[in-house]
Amino acid sequence: MMNGKKFGAIGFLIFALVFHIAALRLTHGQDTDHRDKPRAYPEMSPLDQYLMDRNGEIALARSAAPEALSRDATILVLGRHGYETAVAGKNGFVCLVDRSWMLPFDDSEFWNPSVRLPVCQNPPAARSHLPLTFKTTALALAGRSRKQMFDSIKTAFDQKELPLPEPGSMCYMMSKQQNFGPKFGNADPHLMFWFPQPDHMAWGADMPDSPVDVHQYSPQPITEFAISVAKWSDGTAAGANQRGGTQ
Amino acid sequence: MNSNRFVPLAAFNFALIFAFAVSGRLAGQDNKTSYPSMAPLEQYLMQRDAEITLAQSAAPESISRDATVLVLGRHGYETAVEGKNGFVCAVERGWMSPADAPEFWNPKIRGPICFNPPAARSVLPVTYKRTEMALAGRTKAEITDGNKTAFERGELPALEPGAMSYMMSKEAYLTDDADHNLAHLMFYTPPLDGKVWGADLPKSPVMLIPQFKGAQPIDVFIVPVGRWSDGTPAPLM
Repeated sequence: MMNGKKFGAIGFLIFALVFHIAALRLTHGQDTDHRDKPRAYPEMSPLDQYLMDRNGEIALARSAAPEALSRDATILVLGRHGYETAVAGKNGFVCLVDRSWMLPFDDSEFWNPSVRLPVCQNPPAARSHLPLTFKTTALALAGRSRKQMFDSIKTAFDQKELPLPEPGSMCYMMSKQQNFGPKFGNADPHLMFWFPQPDHMAWGADMPDSPVDVHQYSPQPITEFAISVAKWSDGTAAGANQRGGTQ
Repeated sequence: MNSNRFVPLAAFNFALIFAFAVSGRLAGQDNKTSYPSMAPLEQYLMQRDAEITLAQSAAPESISRDATVLVLGRHGYETAVEGKNGFVCAVERGWMSPADAPEFWNPKIRGPICFNPPAARSVLPVTYKRTEMALAGRTKAEITDGNKTAFERGELPALEPGAMSYMMSKEAYLTDDADHNLAHLMFYTPPLDGKVWGADLPKSPVMLIPQFKGAQPIDVFIVPVGRWSDGTPAPLM
């Protein structure tokens, strides 16, 4: 718990721009298979390092949510020119594996090619948040720098080319195999809720012992709340040292 | 693994039976006591300081220490502590259940809850309204109808975006069933198809509960969390 709290506070202060994925204020003592040694990623690595085996990516994307939900979801996989539909779903959810460029623009892992962030977005989020993923990914694959990406995303929101979160927008990030990079490993299972930033409201986030984190996007005008839950998508318990976990 | 401890959410549909609609997660004991009508008022009241403490236990101390705290008196809720962070903590009674909940009048029900500011403005008034009617001796049906009528007449505010609450007290008594309790957060939304949040699916941490069924167009989603408000681990359901 202490480590979790420390992370939440420090993460919030250090990353004033904070974005959704990184700030899970989780323990840094957990051992996972997903941790790589800290290193700098000043620029994009060769594209192949971000790509995955297609079937492996489908399975990883689905692991973001309980099977009862993800089995009927649309599944996207990352190709050389962007996300492609690998499986057409029927429940309105869309599951995919975010890459490192969905981290905050000032995150040291922004270009870490080992980052894998499975996420299942609910129907309102698929309509209103997924376009941000597509836009950011397109910029990354086009070889844009972080600064260029930041500016393009800001312009896209300013010009209303990107939508604000619809009411009820949320997603599942409950994959045991998720990898946030060397600092946070597979973090914890959690849900995230998105709101337009002007709607920023008090959820008691980032307070000691609160299961709620808040992340303020920049330049995206979005407020995000992350709620730690006690189990991974396969129903197994999260670790006792993880905020949502129990014994 | 622990997955077999998850109660299938299909079984949770019997949540209609329960005050705060979480008893379905609290395993399958049959209710042994029925509560056909309101018990004597004294049975619903608490010692003032104990009620303050219980109300504050709904959320982590970092939140509840600066919250307004209400206590139930003979004529309704009264402000016992003036807060400064916009949260309001109270101990709800059984009449905050759906009208068809068999524990609606269970005088043992104690639901410590801390509303965030949007919920304090737009959901808490429902608590006041229902409590006023309960204390006036109204029946379950009359309370539900009264809630519905008050909303339709604009006497209750519209739900604000981002309304949510904490129910993480280790000392809550939410049902006669099983462990009586569940550490969770509650999210209030306009009516949504529960499928939109993936609610009530096997292994989903999201449940849609019918707290305001028939009374007001508010959906309540709950998300169990793994810890009580004091930071200690809560049982997995």
